Amino acid sequence: MSVGAFYNKFDRHANGAGIKGQSTHYCPGCGHGLAHKFLAESIEELGIQDRTVAVSPVGCSVFLYYYLDVGNTQAAHGRAPVVGLGHKFANPETMVVSYQGDGDLGSIGLAEIVSSAQVGVPMTVVFINNAIYGMTGGQMAPTTLMGQKTATSPHGRGFINGQPFKIAEMIAGLDGAIYVERVALYNARERNKAKAAIKKGLRLQTEKKGFSFIEVLAECPTHLKMSPVDTTKWLIENMLPMFPLGVKKDVEPKELFKTFVPTHDPEKVANIVSEGRGEKAPRFAQKFPQHLAKDDVAIKLAGSGGDGAQTAGMLITRAGINEGYDATHIPSYGPESRGGTSYADVHMAAEEVLSPASPQPHILIAFNQPSLEKFGPDVAPGGYIFYDSSVVTKAPKFDGRKVYGVPFSRIAKDLGKLVVKNIVALGALQAATDILPKESFLAAIRMALKSKCAMIPLNEKAFDWGIKAVQEG
Amino acid sequence: MTTKVSKPKTRPKPFLLPSYCKGCERCIEACPKGCITPGKEINPSTGLVPVSLSLDACTACGLCVNACPEPYGLRLTEVGGPEGVQSDFELQDPRKLFGPRKTEAPKPQTIPDQMLPFPDCEPLVTKGTYASAIGAILAGCRHVYGYPITPSTEGAELMAKLQPLLDGVFFQAVSEVATVNMMYGTGGAGLPVITFTSSPGFSLMLEGISYMIGSEVPGVFVNVMRGGPGLGNIAPEQADIKLMCRGLGHGNTQAIVLAPSTPQEMLDLTIKAFELSFKYRNPVLIAADGYLGQMTGKVTLPKVMRKPGIPDWAVYGDAAHRGNLICSICLSEADLERHNVHLNEKYERMIAAEQLSDSYRCDDAEVVLVGTNTPSRMAKGAVATLRAQGIKAGLFRPITLWPFPVSALKPILRKAKHLVMVEASNGQLEDEMRLAISKAEIREFPPIHAVRRLGGILPSQEEIVAKVLSLQGVRS
Repeated sequence: MSVGAFYNKFDRHANGAGIKGQSTHYCPGCGHGLAHKFLAESIEELGIQDRTVAVSPVGCSVFLYYYLDVGNTQAAHGRAPVVGLGHKFANPETMVVSYQGDGDLGSIGLAEIVSSAQVGVPMTVVFINNAIYGMTGGQMAPTTLMGQKTATSPHGRGFINGQPFKIAEMIAGLDGAIYVERVALYNARERNKAKAAIKKGLRLQTEKKGFSFIEVLAECPTHLKMSPVDTTKWLIENMLPMFPLGVKKDVEPKELFKTFVPTHDPEKVANIVSEGRGEKAPRFAQKFPQHLAKDDVAIKLAGSGGDGAQTAGMLITRAGINEGYDATHIPSYGPESRGGTSYADVHMAAEEVLSPASPQPHILIAFNQPSLEKFGPDVAPGGYIFYDSSVVTKAPKFDGRKVYGVPFSRIAKDLGKLVVKNIVALGALQAATDILPKESFLAAIRMALKSKCAMIPLNEKAFDWGIKAVQEG
Repeated sequence: MTTKVSKPKTRPKPFLLPSYCKGCERCIEACPKGCITPGKEINPSTGLVPVSLSLDACTACGLCVNACPEPYGLRLTEVGGPEGVQSDFELQDPRKLFGPRKTEAPKPQTIPDQMLPFPDCEPLVTKGTYASAIGAILAGCRHVYGYPITPSTEGAELMAKLQPLLDGVFFQAVSEVATVNMMYGTGGAGLPVITFTSSPGFSLMLEGISYMIGSEVPGVFVNVMRGGPGLGNIAPEQADIKLMCRGLGHGNTQAIVLAPSTPQEMLDLTIKAFELSFKYRNPVLIAADGYLGQMTGKVTLPKVMRKPGIPDWAVYGDAAHRGNLICSICLSEADLERHNVHLNEKYERMIAAEQLSDSYRCDDAEVVLVGTNTPSRMAKGAVATLRAQGIKAGLFRPITLWPFPVSALKPILRKAKHLVMVEASNGQLEDEMRLAISKAEIREFPPIHAVRRLGGILPSQEEIVAKVLSLQGVRS
């Protein structure tokens, strides 16, 4: 007769020496052995031994991998369900068993079990509830009963410790769980139900159906400090009223789990990572704008979130790289999503951008008064300052710099969309500095708007108006 | 109504090897015929008291076997096999007693990686974190787990967009703790896996990283460092260098730490991180900073990409890998010492083979700046400024922070009159360098100065230049 998916010999149990090669490490009367056995038999009967991965927890059942002849992973305390998710995603054909005790699952691993159950990816969790910590030596568990004395509740579990956790009922309340049952081991009838529940949980997983959870009320004679027979009596009298047996949930999933095989097709990967392999950018610039800086032009764009400073900075960067220069862009934001400060440091270098920050820029584009006041004085002598004259009411004097007040906002608004004020600013920048040819900017704008073609004419218009504003003074 | 007729003579009866019975007496309650009674004799090999069997009334119903919690406790054998209590378990052949197993786990095989030619693409203009994510895809990574944290979120966001298009997985976990343990599962299954995080999130992952190192599970962590301690801020800092080089959770842990300084290196070093991670079966960390993560630059894609196989050690969840175990437990002190010696040997191999650095104008340098990540770019700018003033300055840039590239630094130290550390931390890179110099038994080295900024402010090119100019003998 078969022994289920147990190893012939427990070589991992003290190297399989002597009796340990064929007996478990559990104390007399412990419930873990039966739960292991029902699991091992179910795995064999369902024919899933080769594709099962059992995740052992921390607690007495930490050594599950001594016994179950399946793929085995031993997890950190409480983390077994998410380790199981990692296995399931790695190979969706894997039958994942997360085997956990009450401290592991009901205390330190609450976030992991709740989130995994809610996700609902098919997995079978066997949860052993014996109302006490075993491996650490009889401390209070989340499932310890009110008044129950343990090493860390020596006066009995009291109000300060809170109520015992009804885990099965909690899991049943989560949408991702499709089958939740609480079973026990104290007589032949309950054992048959326990075996059937574990087997059903696994079968649902083979059918790609969803998250199944079997809570097993188990005896821990050692730490309840009773004989095995008395522990069973205690369990029936005390645990059953608090943890009623039975099916807590048994529903059909809304949809079946879809397995997947990742693709490594180079053509497909190339198209996805480079958005259609990219287009060869035309070049327009004759030479690096040495009239602005010898080999590295530093630009700062500053405004409020939503002004488009970052987009404008990105467009200058893209245009510079398209022309074969090195270019960088670094954004810096306030913590607010909208309306906070938003600064962009941009560099364009003939060979290599060394330092990408722009503390003393050659060019400043300021979208509001505070930005102009803050960064204007830092602009290098002989540098350029552009500001939005529709919002800056009192522009300070900046000696030795070329200052352009251009109504970015008003022009954009007249064109029908305030958001293109940054493009107006770029037009002004191009016209005043000739940092790059007009066509470089327009090509960069078109590339950036590839997926929003309808926006291109408006942006081109805004750019032209920026140029015009500078040319007409 | 039909009645089942039991045929006790043709069905096997239970037998028991007393050494495998712990005397829990569940079988006594289970037996309807009262065949089993509490034992009286202590078994000398276990110190426990096994039950007694008297099978005269036995109907071979099997309920006692069903009640026995021991895999090799009460069993039913084939007809004609042993019955009742069998003595002397040492002489029993389990194969005879329990029958041969249907399937023995096969010897696991490695399915090798494949390097595939990658089509020509135009260079990308992209952010550092995006470049790293693309590097991961080209390294064959189709499993990305993470929890959003500024300034690393772009990595997760791009992966959430791209992975489903490649039938891969991006999963937003409930926390960084869950993230690292999902990585433990997928890495343990032998597949490339990555996360993007930032300092506080990285702190939360340390327990899992210790488990990964102990269990020898690969995985790549991109830590886009931000200001700390505590919540700190979201501006760039380099204050996790100590944590990454010296503090990877509990126990004897170490991992290669790669420090990029450009978006291009974010891509190149991410690809390299996966190679190293599988080569050594150990996590590999990428130390980026908030500036670098957000920095847009030009990124050229490589000519090859990786299609990952499955290593022989993996717990992949298939027949070929059934016999495997991913585990960091070594219960006996001797076993754990042996495991640690093994890990130490691995760390020594990394120190010998994986040091990486870059030097810029160090050949004749009298003042050598030492910096990494974005601050090294400020330092590079400072070198250019200083050289223009006729000062022989150079930059030594560690790319592996651990192992610190002391072999390449050694010849530079001989010529240098001053070392200037350029850091966005309280000297954490300097500590790594000093330790490496000490371990390399280099006794003669120039004075070490520092330009340090904290709190999210990076050292500026100007203050680095000013510091160098203030050093004795530099201006002469």
